Amino acid sequence: MNEREYSVEMHNITKVFPGVHALDDVSFTLRPGEVMALLGENGAGKSTLMKILSGVYTRDSGEIHIFGKPIEGDLTPRKAQALGVSMIHQELNMCAHLTVAENIFLGSELVKGNLLNDKEMHRQAKEVLDSLQIDIQPEQVVGSLAVSKQQMVEIAKALQAKSRILIMDEPTSALTSVEITQLFTLIKKLRDTGCSIVYISHRLEELQYIVDRVTIMRDGKFIIEQPFKELPLNKIISFMVGREIKEKFPRVPVNKGKLALSIRNLQAGRMVKDVSLDLYQGEILGIAGLMGAGRTEMTRALFGVDHKDSGEVEIEGVPVKITCPEDAIAAGLVLVPEDRKRDGLCVKLSVRENIALPNLDIICNKAGVINRSIERTMVKKAISDLKVKLPTSEVNASSLSGGNQQKVVVGKWLARDSKVVIFDEPTRGIDVAAKVEIYNLMNELKQNGISVMFVSSEMPEILGVSDRILVMCDGRVTGELDRSVATQENIMEYATQFENKLNDQN
Amino acid sequence: MSREIANPFKRMMAIRGIGQVLTVTIGLIVLYVVFGFMNPVFFSSRNISNLLRQIAPILLIGIGQSYVLITGNIDLSIGSVVGMSCMISATMMTKGANPWVAVVVTLICCLGLGLANGLLVSLAKLPPFIATLGTMTIARGIAQIANNNYNTDSIGEAAQGFRDFFYYGKSFGLYNTIWIAAALWLLFNFILMRTRSGRHIYAIGSNVEAARLSGVNVISATTKAYMVSAFVSGVVGLITTATSGMGAMDAGNGYELNAVAASVIGGVSTLGGQGLLFGTVIGASIWGVLQNGLQFAGAPVAIRNIVIGIIVVVSVLLDVIVRSGKVSRKKRIVSAT
Repeated sequence: MNEREYSVEMHNITKVFPGVHALDDVSFTLRPGEVMALLGENGAGKSTLMKILSGVYTRDSGEIHIFGKPIEGDLTPRKAQALGVSMIHQELNMCAHLTVAENIFLGSELVKGNLLNDKEMHRQAKEVLDSLQIDIQPEQVVGSLAVSKQQMVEIAKALQAKSRILIMDEPTSALTSVEITQLFTLIKKLRDTGCSIVYISHRLEELQYIVDRVTIMRDGKFIIEQPFKELPLNKIISFMVGREIKEKFPRVPVNKGKLALSIRNLQAGRMVKDVSLDLYQGEILGIAGLMGAGRTEMTRALFGVDHKDSGEVEIEGVPVKITCPEDAIAAGLVLVPEDRKRDGLCVKLSVRENIALPNLDIICNKAGVINRSIERTMVKKAISDLKVKLPTSEVNASSLSGGNQQKVVVGKWLARDSKVVIFDEPTRGIDVAAKVEIYNLMNELKQNGISVMFVSSEMPEILGVSDRILVMCDGRVTGELDRSVATQENIMEYATQFENKLNDQN
Repeated sequence: MSREIANPFKRMMAIRGIGQVLTVTIGLIVLYVVFGFMNPVFFSSRNISNLLRQIAPILLIGIGQSYVLITGNIDLSIGSVVGMSCMISATMMTKGANPWVAVVVTLICCLGLGLANGLLVSLAKLPPFIATLGTMTIARGIAQIANNNYNTDSIGEAAQGFRDFFYYGKSFGLYNTIWIAAALWLLFNFILMRTRSGRHIYAIGSNVEAARLSGVNVISATTKAYMVSAFVSGVVGLITTATSGMGAMDAGNGYELNAVAASVIGGVSTLGGQGLLFGTVIGASIWGVLQNGLQFAGAPVAIRNIVIGIIVVVSVLLDVIVRSGKVSRKKRIVSAT
């Protein structure tokens, strides 16, 4: 291969995290003066690949060439920087208390003797900012700048370090339309000066304005690399999601019952915008979407963990006011949270104590003294109902397998008569057999006339288990699909339907 | 989040919290004038000289604590290092060592403890509260073991030069203690504001991950801050020895909290990344003026403690409130792999 042709070549890159094959024999190339979109679903390995290129992670095997030079051994952020690679991380990495100039030169301060040469640093920072036509003063404190400006400072920092390869991870997610236009102008300018730019984004509709080539990844594997013009959007989507669904999912037919939960115009912070939905008895409603779509935030606001700005919630036709989890539990609405070790269980307490915890109102007498026999009966019933395999209910919750822990979280809610159970990513990080048990559990709830809301990022299981699927994107509900018509492709289409911030562009 | 500051004056005020420092400076002046009107002796040059000498050790340990707080950590071992320094130096002098040799040995011991603090926190990644609580106990133990669990006898005539240098002597009309504090303040302020190490100390307190990714050596910067803290504590220990002419095992008891008081009253953030040593001067002065002024006003020690305690809590509370509103709405880490 011609040395001058590529600024970056990565061949056969493999990376294994405990339990996950994050990258499997991935190859990636980048030319000077082009914008390469790196696309894929959450968990496809895009960020991992780029973190390897920028030295944040080390590769397990594979070759990297930067500007034709093979890289021996592991890269560090510092080495990568010296080779001209800079990554603008999604969660911006700036020292909020320091000034713009101080951030730009952090780690590579200019010194005269042993003294910082602030004057020169300010001058050079000003020069870089001016060359980018960014209206920021070097002595401004970064924490006082808008997110978009902070991002510009990161770009300026990369350029000051003479980077020729810029990796941008979801750079537009926090920007307004004007700011996006500014960013795109900047990207084009950098491209024209010969910089290589990797652009990671879920906002497919933006790509047309800047992207030259596309690399698509799926499940840690390289799928395809093509010029953007030769690849229509629907093709991109099908490459992103085009896995075969081999697993079989248990599905139980149940007749839809009465309306159990109805949400109207729920609004909470930046991540939940005007969400309305209905959920019926004996139904599993899947909530699909990409990470950051606001699904978890929606369930948290609904459950009363986070503050709701507005919106009405009715349970079985009765309006309920939920301002804290206690209200939700009293109304029969319960949440099995995303991170069971952090939010779902007290891992250092026993299984018995965990199950009893939200039900102490039932177990205790009026003076607040625990009635041991009611507790024992309740715990015993919960454990046998859910078929949790335990030597005794006194073992610590931390000693259980992921699947059994999840069952305990569910068990503590089912010990009381709950009407709506929300599962947020219930199968994350548990093995296949345990996953099937969780699906069976949801089906059992459904058969008992309980309503289930099932939030998941894994399309096969959403498609396999849900009766109806709601797709969220950017805090809004962008689509509703009956299971008979839902496919990975149309879910993905709805999941990437961002509010079009750019319709005023060419 | 997107609150941009256009006005150049306001922009300058935002850097490192200069605005807060000016606010407390006004507070200090008001306080001083109020106490002065209550009792005119407060304004006498004799009292001013005494007041400054009283403030000097608090300023010194305040400098140390400020360094550590700016990195986003805390040093609880300061008081014990003062005690350790006092006992080591006094024991050596009573055993006939040259006072200046004793000074050097003592300061090296203190720097060793600072090094241990720094490595425990940055390399072993212990929570700073626990790590320095441990070394605090160890340093106090060393203070006790130095002279077999007794306070020392008088350090004697031979050490008169030492006592004058650190406490009793005057140069250019002011006590030497004040000059020592002023010189060290100038030195450490210079390092913090004008050198690469100083810049890194601010950076890791502001966002340790960003600093690391920018190539900042976090271990070295953190350790330097702890060593500065131990060094100034050692100097205060020497001043204590010079003052009383003997070594006391409980010297410096509770000083770590006085150091926190001087720092946070002066606008150094307990959350890291922000603060100026100029603020520490103001903080230490407010501490001194309150002690001195309340004493003149006839308030018992208990009342002085309560007043200073309240001011510390309010200062930290203000910092937390201002910060939570301004800098970081909790960043959601959305890893879009």
